[in-house]
Amino acid sequence: MNNFQVVAIIGLTVLSGATVVAHLRRWMRRGPCVFWCGLWIAAGAACLWPNKMSSVAHLLGIGRGADLVSYCGIVAMLVGFWMVYIRLLRLRREVTLTVRRLAILEAQRVYESGEHSQDDRLESKDEPMS
Amino acid sequence: MNETVLSSELMQQTFIVVPAYNENDCLERVIRELRLTRANVVVVDDGSTDETYDTARREATFVLRHVVNRGQGAALQTGIEFSLSQGARFIVTFDADGQHQVEDVPRLLQPIYRGECDVCLGSRFLGESIGMPWVRKMTLRLGVVFTRISSGVKLTDAHNGLRAFSQQAARQICITLDGMAHASELIDIISHAGLIYQEVPVSIRYTKRSLTKGQSPWNAFRIVFDYLLSRTSK
Repeated sequence: MNNFQVVAIIGLTVLSGATVVAHLRRWMRRGPCVFWCGLWIAAGAACLWPNKMSSVAHLLGIGRGADLVSYCGIVAMLVGFWMVYIRLLRLRREVTLTVRRLAILEAQRVYESGEHSQDDRLESKDEPMS
Repeated sequence: MNETVLSSELMQQTFIVVPAYNENDCLERVIRELRLTRANVVVVDDGSTDETYDTARREATFVLRHVVNRGQGAALQTGIEFSLSQGARFIVTFDADGQHQVEDVPRLLQPIYRGECDVCLGSRFLGESIGMPWVRKMTLRLGVVFTRISSGVKLTDAHNGLRAFSQQAARQICITLDGMAHASELIDIISHAGLIYQEVPVSIRYTKRSLTKGQSPWNAFRIVFDYLLSRTSK
């Protein structure tokens, strides 16, 4: 095992441990926990047995194992960006709903309690439109 | 019951929703003109950083404030929901930048009063547009083509902020797109809900200020992106 493999395996083990701890502390649901642990284990396997990756790459019609890892990385990154963007949109919608609810409740409170005094409105002396 | 009394009564049941973001310069004039119609003026201050809220509070019938800026679509939905909670029978949406003409409001409401349709959409291409730059004209024409393709609705002006809804139609409106793409979403909602709509000629007067503050033609790409994304992520 070379130095890179040692560092990578330690790093991936820490990440797997952190993922499991996050699940145990209920910060993460079971589905995402299984997904991330699977990803870390696959990455560890690719580090430990690079030649096996080349065999898999050949099976998929890709020349080298390193290329397969790069392609998978790019696809995973794009999917990740998309998921984060969709989540961001949902979050923005929730912010809007909260802001709206606050605005409506505040207005209803003010106008129903009569807090909004007529005095601070200007008296319009214009004639109404016919 | 004569025509004038009927109009007056109906106007009192009409709520004009004015979304406003940093529009203090012309908001006072716009609200004063709108109040001449005897309708209830609902200003939704969309997190303005100038004196828009104070001006609206002084002049409008109702004022709502978004604590942070959420966009015109979000402000419109807030105004519509509030108006319905106050028993509005008719709702008009009206821009705060002074481009729309108050005289068009009764014209827009007439077909709904008469029960001819549920929604009236203002069209500057059926009416007149004063001082419209050709780039804006081209962008709006492309918007019409885009709406025709995406929603299958044939309109002459798909992105006009001057619209009127019956109470029944307004109850079916649920704008989820906060930004300017809400105009396309609104057409989709009208189409999917099977609401009867009509286009009414209106006048739009572009001023130096409204053009400076208004949408850049490049925003059209953002609007299309937001709209298409909303259709894929629903």
